[in-house]
Amino acid sequence: MNSIEKKSQIVAGIDVGSAMTKVAILETKEIIAQAMSPTLADPRLAVKLALEKALQEVNLSQNDLGFIVTTGYGRRAVEFGNQVITEITANAKGARFLGSPLGQVRTVIDLGAQDSKVIKLNENGEVIDFIMNEKCAAGTGRFLEVMAKTLDIKFEDLGEFSLKSKNPVKINATCTVFAESEVISLIVQKKKREDILAGLHHVIAKKIADLARAVTPKEVVFFDGGGAKNIGIKRSLEEELGLKIYVPEEPQFVIALGAALIASELLHANARS
Amino acid sequence: MANEVVMFKKIFKKLKEVELKEKGFEKRYPLKRVSAFEKKEEFKKIFLEQGERNLELMQKIPNRAKNMAYFDEIWKLEKRVKEIEDFRKAGGKVIGTFCNFVPEELIYAAGCLPIRICAGFYETIEIAEEILAKDICPLIKSSFGFKLVELPYFSLCDLVIIPTSCDGKKKLGEILSDYLEVWPLELPNTKDSSQSKEFWFQEIKIFKKRLEKLSGNEITFSKLKKAIELCHLRQVVFHRFDEIRQSTNPLISGRDALLVTQVSFFDDLRRWTEKTKKLCQELTENIKKNLGIYPAQTPRLLLTGSPIIWPNYKFLNIIEEFGGIVVGDTFCSGTQHLYNPVEIDEWVMEEMLKAIAERYLLPSICPCFIESNDRIDNLLQMVKDFKIDGVIYHQLRLCQLYDLEFYKVKQILNRENIPLLRIQTDYSQEDIEQIKTRVEAFLEMIKSKKYEFY
Repeated sequence: MNSIEKKSQIVAGIDVGSAMTKVAILETKEIIAQAMSPTLADPRLAVKLALEKALQEVNLSQNDLGFIVTTGYGRRAVEFGNQVITEITANAKGARFLGSPLGQVRTVIDLGAQDSKVIKLNENGEVIDFIMNEKCAAGTGRFLEVMAKTLDIKFEDLGEFSLKSKNPVKINATCTVFAESEVISLIVQKKKREDILAGLHHVIAKKIADLARAVTPKEVVFFDGGGAKNIGIKRSLEEELGLKIYVPEEPQFVIALGAALIASELLHANARS
Repeated sequence: MANEVVMFKKIFKKLKEVELKEKGFEKRYPLKRVSAFEKKEEFKKIFLEQGERNLELMQKIPNRAKNMAYFDEIWKLEKRVKEIEDFRKAGGKVIGTFCNFVPEELIYAAGCLPIRICAGFYETIEIAEEILAKDICPLIKSSFGFKLVELPYFSLCDLVIIPTSCDGKKKLGEILSDYLEVWPLELPNTKDSSQSKEFWFQEIKIFKKRLEKLSGNEITFSKLKKAIELCHLRQVVFHRFDEIRQSTNPLISGRDALLVTQVSFFDDLRRWTEKTKKLCQELTENIKKNLGIYPAQTPRLLLTGSPIIWPNYKFLNIIEEFGGIVVGDTFCSGTQHLYNPVEIDEWVMEEMLKAIAERYLLPSICPCFIESNDRIDNLLQMVKDFKIDGVIYHQLRLCQLYDLEFYKVKQILNRENIPLLRIQTDYSQEDIEQIKTRVEAFLEMIKSKKYEFY
């Protein structure tokens, strides 16, 4: 394969989220590399780092990329992208591509750092409705991040830790700031950390479920975003919605993957025209 | 039922004998006025800057009609404010109106000038919040703020007429009555029962009498006929304008269309009609020349919900800058403001007044009435007529009436497979990024449906 042909096959999807920037690189619809980097205050730098990391894995350079689609909160911060797409469209695309062993995906729930969203798909996998959380951080990954600090538990361990609970505490606040003070007062009352945590997971799941109900979700629910790695949320969400939920292997890369899939479609569409 | 009607007629006959009471606010507990007059020049500057920023975007639209030039200038206060000041100096009365229920025909017939003062300006909200509750809709706060700062056109009004179309407006009336004369116009809660119609008809009659007293001019048959005809002509031109927007080749942006409509809030009636007629002629020519402003496949959107008012076009800017076009709306600050003419069966005073009363009540699709069916009819009809790809429900935060109607509208549109997006927002700029994502995603969804893409 000569280099021009090789280039035309390889595309990237870049998902600039509010916490993490994710990159997926595809060659003829096969994922060949993935990487991420914290977005922090400089989305451009995060894109550069994540992209370099991913490209290094497969010994490629940016010049080898035939098409780049950017998405996510910082989708317009990338100057060298060929097309901008919203995370809704990209997410639906990625979820549809990965599918679920539990049956056809009809609802996608994404739990990101700063927003949560629910996308409804029809039998053909097309987006027919979607809803996103309002502007505050209730029901998002950030909420859990704050609680992890307050309870002094590693963010990655939150889900497992919450499963230890036998007697979940009822948390009333959904506002991140109010919930934090509620948690502090529960600690003072000597409530067990796992019970507080289970309560917090329940609150967040309820918030997402409320959002989901607005679009009357159907089975199978595909749950992704960084938040989907948390087993506690998945369990609580299943309970709340009463629907089967599938979490893919690497839930935080689904949107970047979707963007990359769109990149490969656009590359071919452009080649044809 | 028939008995009830007879009974009501009797009651109203009695009422008439007693003489109809003019409603207003007693000065039993007058409050000290708050003034933020010192902010006037600063706010005026910001108002003009915001408008200019909209215009900058609007003027970049390719093939934009040249006759928009008039509308691009006239909102900038100076010229029209001068005209209105002169009108007042000559003894004319300027009447500020809210909503879509105040009969302009009667105001013109009395030789007065109606100006709709519903406002879409963020800056005046904070000042208004010193007096009005924080948790009421931005439209009411923004409009009241114009009075506190004494910005035109509110500052030019001799009195204000407030229909009782929501709780916010009702209470705004009383609060405003410390600042200038306020006439509440009491609306019934239903539109089509005989009691409601009769009640509203009486309101209109009192209104006529009060206008005569205020202006010192009797509203004669010939004066009223002339006013009805003038307004009718404006409506005819507006219908043509509306029809042009149905063209599958988009000829005018939603922003331009709304600006044209909202200039009619304060502009000279005859001049507006003339200028809009010219604009329509140009647009008709553009159809023939195939001079569309956006590609023909641009997603065609219908806006419904709470009113959008100049210069708060942030939402329209997002929609149209990201590849959609607003071809129609059901706003009381838009199409509804000018769509329905007074229809006269018989040119006699009583019939004319009845026709006026009906025009301002029956076609209304305001959520202040207990039923939303007419609004849904209107929506579905417009979706057909304007070949709509998707509906966007604009929800001003804290406008409960539109909030409450959303569920039903959503269910019906879902049933009809019409894509729907709800955006909850206010006049601030802080949620622009979130709105962008939602609107862009909605447009992508429509495009993929229309062209099987993505």
